[in-house]
Amino acid sequence: MTATSSANTSGKELHLNWKERVDVIRSNRWFLMAFPFAMLALIILIFGGATGGNFFRVSVLKGILSQAIIIGTCATGVSFIYSNGNLDISIGAVLGMGATLGVLAYNATNITPLLILVSVGVSLGLMAFNCTMSVVCHIKTITVAIVVTQIYSAITTLLIGGAGTIDIAYETSSMLEDGGFRYIAFFGYFILCLVVYHFTRIGRELRFLGGNETCAQQTGMSSGKATYVSFLMAGLGVGLAAVFSVIDVSAVSVETGSGLGMDVMLATVLGGMSIFGGSRSNAYAGLIGALTVAALNKGLLMVGVPSAFIQGIRGVIFLALVYMNSERRDLLPSRMQF
Amino acid sequence: MPEKGKVLVQVKDVCKNFGVTIALSHVDFVVKTGEIRGLIGENGSGKSTVSSIIAGMQPASSGEMAYKGKPWKPKDVLEAQAAGIGMIVQEAGTIANISVAENIFLGSYQKFRKGPIIDKKAMVTEARKALEKIGVTHINPALPARMYDMQERKLIEIAKCMYNNPELLIVDETTTALSQSGRDIIYRIMHEMADAGKAVMIISHDLNEMMEQCDTLTVLRDGVIIDNIDKADFDPDDIKQKMVGREIKGNYYRVDNDGYSDEVVLKADCITTMHSLLCFDLELHKQEILGIGGLSDCGMHTVGRALYGLEMVVDGEVRISDRNVVVKNAQVAFRNGMGYVSKNRDTESLELNASIYNNIASTGYDKNSTGPFINPFKERAYVDKQVRALMIKCQNAHQPVRALSGGNKQKVVFGKWCADDADILILDCPTRGVDIGVKAAMYQLIYDMKKQGKSIIMISEELPELMGMCDRLLIMRDGQISGEFFRKDGYDDRTLIEYMI
Ligand SMILES: Nc1ncnc2c1ncn2[C@@H]1O[C@H](COP(=O)(O)OP(=O)(O)OP(=O)(O)O)[C@@H](O)[C@H]1O
Ligand SMILES: [Mg+2]
Repeated sequence: MTATSSANTSGKELHLNWKERVDVIRSNRWFLMAFPFAMLALIILIFGGATGGNFFRVSVLKGILSQAIIIGTCATGVSFIYSNGNLDISIGAVLGMGATLGVLAYNATNITPLLILVSVGVSLGLMAFNCTMSVVCHIKTITVAIVVTQIYSAITTLLIGGAGTIDIAYETSSMLEDGGFRYIAFFGYFILCLVVYHFTRIGRELRFLGGNETCAQQTGMSSGKATYVSFLMAGLGVGLAAVFSVIDVSAVSVETGSGLGMDVMLATVLGGMSIFGGSRSNAYAGLIGALTVAALNKGLLMVGVPSAFIQGIRGVIFLALVYMNSERRDLLPSRMQF
Repeated sequence: MPEKGKVLVQVKDVCKNFGVTIALSHVDFVVKTGEIRGLIGENGSGKSTVSSIIAGMQPASSGEMAYKGKPWKPKDVLEAQAAGIGMIVQEAGTIANISVAENIFLGSYQKFRKGPIIDKKAMVTEARKALEKIGVTHINPALPARMYDMQERKLIEIAKCMYNNPELLIVDETTTALSQSGRDIIYRIMHEMADAGKAVMIISHDLNEMMEQCDTLTVLRDGVIIDNIDKADFDPDDIKQKMVGREIKGNYYRVDNDGYSDEVVLKADCITTMHSLLCFDLELHKQEILGIGGLSDCGMHTVGRALYGLEMVVDGEVRISDRNVVVKNAQVAFRNGMGYVSKNRDTESLELNASIYNNIASTGYDKNSTGPFINPFKERAYVDKQVRALMIKCQNAHQPVRALSGGNKQKVVFGKWCADDADILILDCPTRGVDIGVKAAMYQLIYDMKKQGKSIIMISEELPELMGMCDRLLIMRDGQISGEFFRKDGYDDRTLIEYMI
């Protein structure tokens, strides 16, 4: 009994409907890499048009760049935490406290490097503390983050005192801003992240652990060590971002760092990375996403959207991207990982 | 008298693509009442895809189906279940953290609803009945599913499936995860169903099993139906040829009788674990392929886990002799030249969302580093070698592992450990779900490792594989070694089975 037996599977039989075509494109590696750049270009075009070209004024672009450097530094650092399968939303508060202590130390001594060292040192210390709490006490990192955010903010408010802001000498901040420190620090950090992320054992392990911890442990990877490295890398970034925030406005205030958590998460997903860990992550995602978020924030303000709405719009974009990034619906039930 | 030979399910001109991958191309076949139809073909030929389409897990890209003479287009599994089509899937189909009873009635809690609450007690009672119906009494439906091993979990799935009295039962690549006792349960159910005028579709890579159990075989290759063969015409060489499209020859298993060295490389000294093992001893020698066989619950899988530091050893120790290290956990084991292929590939041996590349590369970070940095060229060669040697069917190495067929996933697991080049390799059901062609390649690789001076422990449900490959074979029963046999004396399967039960 013989039925059909022609074994031709030539390319001609490829009749895809539109949804499948979209899926093909969506799952293409190159598309995934190009998507964030396309989003950025789109936003620039939209706001360039909507503001009649005002968007391209040097002062506006400079503002966007300053913002993007702060968000991008944090996002690049935090991407280590995300890809390790953890979440941390305390970075805004950490940045605030790092910046405050840095400013206080500088104002007390007038030694410029101390501003940098203290900001970075405090951020590293606080992130290490978050991490220790969750590794040693087996508490989820997000839970730790929620609690410490409150504590760190309270301490910062206390340190800053009644005025709500502390200034630093304008000459110092403009010297740091224009003297190349900012770009050198930023690119140095970025390259460090890139190398650690893609070309070192710990960077790879970190991502693998984020994807499947059991499997990673069977290949000799240790989750405690990776968690520490991810938090310290993030801490270094947040510390640098703290310095950038201070020199941006020549002061630190109780508002420094607020809203940063959301900006960073949005930048991460706009950059094409999953915030749920695993292998689909890039170190440059945070940078390109940060430019997009900064452009979006500025553009929305310029076209006159009230800032309360801006929050909402960003939230909607965030949810839409997270939904698009989740691929669970294409899966066979039999292929699900329980 | 139940009616037999009537068309129950008809699949007409069905195609399915995943992006540019063509999984099925114009597939036609029928399943008749009273028959056991086997679906056979190489890894990635589309067997799971076509069955899951029938069972409502995913839609076809084009084509039609009919069930009991009416057009059939199920929108989900529940609809298919209600209409009488049940499927036991290839991968884990139970959820670990809910109870066995909840697993059995997943999606149909409604009938136990009493006002706003679910009557758990009634559910457990009903679940017990469902299990008894397939002749299983040793599983407690009130306990969480994670308390049970793979075989028992598969039995839970079978109970779930049979509870709904299906007209068509689909069994996808399940038997190779089961020991003989589990298989017997499935075979009995299959034949009872066929006798009652219902129908069964079974997928397996065990050709002997298929030839024994099935009435007809449908052969698939690259998504195309090659042939339908009736029992009277079954001929293993002909079937193999149809599956792979070329003649398969050469040695399947090794034929030599080379011994092994006296040097002990790994020693378990009176180890006791939380369950299963009590003062268990084992010695593995250099260049030895040591087989461990037995029924699924005999403790052999626990032995593998304990040797690799995955199971808590409450007393005694596992020691790597030449390095004089005690294996306390998997990290120690890995760092000291051991490797372990787990039986639970999806949860333990793969990062499903990562690419084939990243999965295979994960064992080689140290080996592929130059100084503190990973060398991408070395790494690429490391991965490519395995993809080629194991004929992993994929578009490219950057495809996520979760999109691969079951057998191809297993190849990735095997590949990453082959690449690792460990001195001591523990293989738990290494060939589960892989087709005959690749099995032969794996056996060859295992034998090559032995010749290079490695030591291998092979734990398997399949006696022929153990007899074909091992220098020494331990048979286990109730957590203890009940018999030890040597290749040089020759193995006799009847004797081996006697020591198992
Ligand atoms: N969700 C998916 N996404 C992309 N490709 C898929 C998906 N599911 C299956 N495929 C592809 O479809 C083809 C057929 O897969 P299928 O699982 O049906 O094979 P199979 O015959 O069951 O193989 P095995 O014996 O290994 O289980 C394979 O090439 C596989 O990679
Ligand atoms: Mg399959």
